[in-house]
Amino acid sequence: MTAMTTVLGTMAGMKLAVLRHSMSGQKAGLVATGGVLGLVLAGGTLFAAFQSGDLLAAAYAVWMLGWILGPVFSGGGDETLRPEYFTLLGLPPRRLAAGLLAGAFVGVAPAINLLALAGLVILGVRQSPAAALVALPAMLLQLAIFVLLSRVAVAALGIALRSRLGAIGTGLVNGAILAALGQVWVFAIALGQTGGITPEASAVLRYLPSGWGLAAVEGAGTGSWDRTGLALGAMVVLVALLLAAWAALLTRRASAARASARGRRPMTASTPSGAVVAKELRTWSRDLVRTHQLTFALAYGVFFAGAPLLLGLDVMLAWAGPVAVLMAAAMTAGVYAVDGTALWLTLMIPDAADVRGRQRAWLLVVGPPVVALALGLTAVTGGPWPPVLAVTAALLGGGAGIVPLISVYALVPGTDPHRRGGNPLRVSEDDGALTGMAYAVLALVALTGAPAAVVAVMYGWAGVAVGAATGVLCWWGFGLLAQRRLHGHGPELLQMMRTGKRPPSRQGGWVRIDELPKREQIITALCWSVGAIPLFPQGIVAGFLKAQDSETRSWFLALHLPEAFQWPVIVFMVLLGLGIYGLGLWIPYRHRRSAAVPEAS
Amino acid sequence: MTPALEIIGLSKTFGEKVAVDHVDLAVPQGSFYGLVGQNGAGKTTTLSMAVGLLRPDGGSARIFGADVWSDPSRAKSLVGVLPDGMAMPERLTGREVLTYLGLLRGLSKEVVAERAEELLSVLELDEAEKTLVIEYSTGMRKKIGLAIALLHAPRLLVLDEPFEAVDPVSAATIKTILRGFVAGGGSIVLSSHVMALVEQLCDHVGVIDKGRVAAAGTLEQVRGDRSLEDTFVGLVGSADTGTKELSWLSR
Repeated sequence: MTAMTTVLGTMAGMKLAVLRHSMSGQKAGLVATGGVLGLVLAGGTLFAAFQSGDLLAAAYAVWMLGWILGPVFSGGGDETLRPEYFTLLGLPPRRLAAGLLAGAFVGVAPAINLLALAGLVILGVRQSPAAALVALPAMLLQLAIFVLLSRVAVAALGIALRSRLGAIGTGLVNGAILAALGQVWVFAIALGQTGGITPEASAVLRYLPSGWGLAAVEGAGTGSWDRTGLALGAMVVLVALLLAAWAALLTRRASAARASARGRRPMTASTPSGAVVAKELRTWSRDLVRTHQLTFALAYGVFFAGAPLLLGLDVMLAWAGPVAVLMAAAMTAGVYAVDGTALWLTLMIPDAADVRGRQRAWLLVVGPPVVALALGLTAVTGGPWPPVLAVTAALLGGGAGIVPLISVYALVPGTDPHRRGGNPLRVSEDDGALTGMAYAVLALVALTGAPAAVVAVMYGWAGVAVGAATGVLCWWGFGLLAQRRLHGHGPELLQMMRTGKRPPSRQGGWVRIDELPKREQIITALCWSVGAIPLFPQGIVAGFLKAQDSETRSWFLALHLPEAFQWPVIVFMVLLGLGIYGLGLWIPYRHRRSAAVPEAS
Repeated sequence: MTPALEIIGLSKTFGEKVAVDHVDLAVPQGSFYGLVGQNGAGKTTTLSMAVGLLRPDGGSARIFGADVWSDPSRAKSLVGVLPDGMAMPERLTGREVLTYLGLLRGLSKEVVAERAEELLSVLELDEAEKTLVIEYSTGMRKKIGLAIALLHAPRLLVLDEPFEAVDPVSAATIKTILRGFVAGGGSIVLSSHVMALVEQLCDHVGVIDKGRVAAAGTLEQVRGDRSLEDTFVGLVGSADTGTKELSWLSR
């Protein structure tokens, strides 16, 4: 037993040390931003605890989904302590898993989740002292279940991504779940139509592992101790089972072959650009992470657009194709990053048209299924043809242009494929930046579809011509820019890949957030994350509602005040929001580089 | 005669650290040039700048007279490079990598197929026909890297640590090919910190220490009548290199 406690203590201590050291770089700002968002969510959960048990159960179900799915989108989750680090120590798998679990509890996310789980205590206090007492162990067990579920999900996904079928399966499931979260309004309305959370739904929420803690507390509150005992016992058993499962998965992870072994057909290309296409297509079909990404994007499109069918609405169905393009572009945003230092080969052959080949391959992979989706589903709904076709064409061109462009202009250094650890989702050490880039690509590619959408809505078929034109233009123009950047800054990009660090900003230019002193970083990140609250909901939206003489007051502070104060408060909120954003801009501006830094020419 | 590789005053600073400090080197045509130095002496940085993979802070590099930075197309067509530890198109088989890069170099399909076949068989990679590069062992990676460097028939090879972590059998194969390349009129620069290897293969030596050239010339000029190892330790070793023992290992 002492060996076990030593392992637990050492790993928790290690994690704490790593966190302390890594809080200096851009990570501090990122952690602060994530922390603030998490606190807002935790606050919402505690608010739900004051309302009803059903609402709290629903909130915990969402937390659980977040724990399971989050890592899929943020580069494999928290990998501060990796199982590979400890392979030479010869720890028994279960002790290793327990140690890693102890490490996993040290961090910002578990702390915030524990705060959210304090909702159980609130609920308990509202019921009886005994229930409040039961809430304490329930809280800890619930957190252990969340953290373990997350770890087991990542480990299981890692195993699944070793086979094609597994990659496709998980892509489908993940796409469906994320689409459901994105379309949560549909479910909200569906619930509203049936008059709130139905008794069945309420029961289901308590049967989910996320509701067991709640069930235990409620059991204690109503004096049905057998229910409490059952729920707590089930939680203990689940924790043990998950720990065992994780330990088993860890041993499989450490002994991993990653590539898929499939029949090799000979390369038939005969031109330089054709060779790039052939290489890229082979990488697409052999890298199961990419298979997963593509399946995910398509599944997301279909389920996102199909969700309103639950309400009997088919207006969105035809848009599955365009949505899938956006998601595919976001998932493949690091098209150069994932190749790592293989970039040196491109630099050694300066005349090869690498970008064009990659663009063609991207279109060949993403285009056919997306076009099939767009045509098929629009035929099912019987239109509207012009906007769907216009936007699909525009987005395909936009994606083929923006993806390589962003990939070279905002390069996030990737880990070389042959040096990656046992977690296939982790393609970069800078997973925060990679996630940010995915969102940027999502927004930018969506913008490239805007002109075609507007024209198609106003003038019908003319929009398709506009979509085709902007698509070709984006493909051609952005591709050209990317190619130039690759030529002009190739050595700098390669150096970035080699060292895994982005170089300091140029003299006189703006500094990046991670170059600021730590305190300023946190302030800037806070400004950027909270500025929206006074500006949009409390300011602009409140003003809009006020101008409309709406009855809705919700959480809009101004509308709860006496008439005379309403407009002044709205104006104040807008100014406050702008002021906060302004501060967020001013801090990096003030720290503009003055010291001489070698400039990349 | 124009040197195969001419390095003139190359410098590079990373942050505070001066990695390469005004290095001048000339690699004569037809020579087998060994660049030796301790880990972190600046060998890789110098070679990376010499072939255009890293932008220097100052200085220039010419390959058969063609400037690497102002005339990259010509300079880079004359040189084959084997960097240390860089990625390759990992999810292709060896033959596919060679086909891909050959076509990218503008070679015709037939020529590419012929050369790939010959390279794979000489380097004994043809048995692993269905293996992706990502599954290759370290020795196989070095060999496919060498094949990549040789594919377009360059006249200069720049090899960074070509024998690092390579098994003796693969190393023997690589040595045979390199000797043949020089015998056929080619020039080679390789970096290493294994003195015996450089002594065995090379006819010219450059010693790099703390980013500067400590000595350069033919093997005989540099080592005189001592072994290269003694010369090297004399050039770069600090005064008190008396080896200390580990207290808990001596009984």
